[in-house]
Amino acid sequence: MNEQAADQKNRSGGPVERFGAALAFICRVGTGGAFAVLIAAVSIQVVGRSIGSSPVWTEEVTRYALLYLAAFGTGVALRTGTLVNVDLFAEAMPRRISWLLRFLSAVAIIVLCAVLVMPAWRYTAIGTFQTSPALGVRMHLIHASVLVLIVLLGVFALLRALGMLAGSDDGLPHELASEDDAQLADGER
Amino acid sequence: MDLAILFGGFIAALLAGVPVAVSLGIASALYIAFSGTPLVVIPQKMYAGMDVFVLLSIPGFILAGNLMNNGGITERIVRFATALVGWLRGGLGLTNIAGSMLFGGISGTAVADAASVGGMMIPGMKRAGYPAPFSAAVTAASSTVGPMIPPSVPMIIVGALSGISVGQMFLAGAVPGILMGFAMMVTCFLIARRRNFPREDWKGFGELLRAFAAAFWAVAMTALIIIGLLSGYATPTETAVLASIYATVVGLFVYRELPVRKIPKIIVESAVSSAGILALVGFANVFGYILAAERIPQTIAAAVLSVTDNKYVVILLINVLLLFIGTFMETIAALIILFVPLLQLAMAVGVDPLHFATFAVLNLMLGLTTPPVGVCLFVCANIAKIPLAPVVRAILPFLLTNIAVLLAVSYIPPLATWLPRTLMD
Repeated sequence: MNEQAADQKNRSGGPVERFGAALAFICRVGTGGAFAVLIAAVSIQVVGRSIGSSPVWTEEVTRYALLYLAAFGTGVALRTGTLVNVDLFAEAMPRRISWLLRFLSAVAIIVLCAVLVMPAWRYTAIGTFQTSPALGVRMHLIHASVLVLIVLLGVFALLRALGMLAGSDDGLPHELASEDDAQLADGER
Repeated sequence: MDLAILFGGFIAALLAGVPVAVSLGIASALYIAFSGTPLVVIPQKMYAGMDVFVLLSIPGFILAGNLMNNGGITERIVRFATALVGWLRGGLGLTNIAGSMLFGGISGTAVADAASVGGMMIPGMKRAGYPAPFSAAVTAASSTVGPMIPPSVPMIIVGALSGISVGQMFLAGAVPGILMGFAMMVTCFLIARRRNFPREDWKGFGELLRAFAAAFWAVAMTALIIIGLLSGYATPTETAVLASIYATVVGLFVYRELPVRKIPKIIVESAVSSAGILALVGFANVFGYILAAERIPQTIAAAVLSVTDNKYVVILLINVLLLFIGTFMETIAALIILFVPLLQLAMAVGVDPLHFATFAVLNLMLGLTTPPVGVCLFVCANIAKIPLAPVVRAILPFLLTNIAVLLAVSYIPPLATWLPRTLMD
C-alpha cells in the first residue's frame, strides 16, 4: 500500500475508524511511556552505580515497564502489521478469498482473546496476595499487564473486523508512520 | 490426537494469515482446552515468557539502531564502504555488502538492514547499470549478516532461552558474520567479472580517510556495545540504553541530522516493534511449555539417536530441518519453538551449546532470503519495484555461498566459540 493510500485509509471513515485511531493513539502513548520509564530506570541504575550504589528498585521498575510496553504495544503492532504474519498464501488467493481469510484471521484473534479474558482475569487476581520484593507493589497490578495485552489485542482485531464489514477497512495493516503523519497534520491544521 | 490439534491448529492459523504469535496462542489454547488443563496456564506462561531479564535489552538495541538510521548514518556508511571497495569490479555490489556488515553493527535486525541499506543502494545500483534483480538480491543476501554481527535480537532471544550470556552470544556471531560478508563479496566479485559490471573510480586515500572520519561515530557504536559488555561495566540492557543515548547525541550534535521532533515517533516505533517481538515470545512460551510437557525434545532426540548417533550426521540433520523450517517460519518464532528441543539433541551428541546456538541462528537467518516467506526478499523486491521471481533466481549464488559458510561454522566449532571463549572466559 502506498503512503497516500494508507494516509487516506487512516483519516477516512466513520465512528469505528475514529475510535480505532484514538485508541491507537492512546496505546502508542502508553507504549512510548512505558519505554520512557524503562530508559529512565536503567539510566538511574547506571548513574547510581557510577556514583556509589544503584537503588534496589530499578530492576523491578524496568521489568514491569517492559511488560506494560508489550501490553500497550501488541494491539498497535497488530494494527500496523508489526505483529508478523505469513500472508503469502492468503494474498495469493483471488481477491474475495483473500478478504475472507483476513476477516477470518481477525475473528480468530477475537475468539482467542475472548476465551483468554477470564483466565487472564483469574491470573491477575492471583497476584492480589503477593507483593513485589523491592517496590512492594501488589502483583495483581503487574499480572494485569497480560490482561491488558489480551483485551487490547482483541479490541483492535474487533475494530478491524467491524471496519471490514462496514467496508471502510480492507483488513491490511495501517502504516504506523502514516498514522503519525496524519496525526501531526491534523494537529497543524 | 492432542499433538495433531496443536500442530494442525498452528499450521491452519498460520496459512490463513493469522499473525505467528496469535497462531501459537490459538494452537496452544486448543491443545490446553482439549487436554483439560485450566486455561489460566496461558496467561501465566505468557507472563513468565516475557518477564525474562535478558529481553529487557531488545527495545534499547532496536531504538539505538532506529535513532542512528534516522540520524544520517546510512549515507556515511555507504560513502565509507564505497571508498573502501567501490573501485573493484562490481564495486557497488561490494559496497552494498560492506555497508550491510557495518550497518549490522548498529542495527539488530536483518529487515532494518535491508530497508536502510537497500533504500539507498538499490536505486543507486540500478542507475549505475546493475540489473535490478541483482541489486535486490545482493541487498537481501547481505542483510542476513546484520543479526550475526553484534548487536543482534535473535542472539538475545537465544541468550534468554539457553542461559548463555548475551555477551558470549554476540561475540560468537561476529566471526561467522564477517566470514559471511567476505564470502559474499567474493561471490559478488566473480559474478561482476563474468558479467562485466561497472566499477567506481578510486578516489584516493584522502577520500578513504575522510569517509572513515565521517562514518567513525556510527561505527564506534559497535565498539561501544562490545566494550560495554566485555568490560562487565554494564549489563546488556544498560548497554542498549547507553547505545540509544549515544545514538541520540551523535544524531543531534555530531551529525546534526536527527530532527528533535522525530525522536518521540522513533521511540514509539521502536517500542511497538519490541512489543510485537515480546508478544511472540509470550505466546511461544506457552507453546514451548506444551512441547516440554509432551516431552517432545526427548522424543525428537530419541528418534534421531535411534537412527544415528554420529555427531556430524546429527549436525547435518539439524541444519536440514532448520533450513526447511526457516523457509516458512518467522525466525524468532522458529528459534523459540525449536531451539530447546534441538539443543537437547545437539548436546546428546556432544555439541557445545554456544556452537549450536551460533549455527542455529545463522541457519535461520538464511530463511529470510528464501521463498516463500523470505521477508528480506520481499523488502528488496519492493524497493527495486520488480516481481519476486527474478530476485529469487539472482539470489541463488549468494544463498549457496551462505550455505557453504553455514556448513563451515557447523563443522568447525572454533569459528563460533574461539572469540567468546578467548575474550570472556
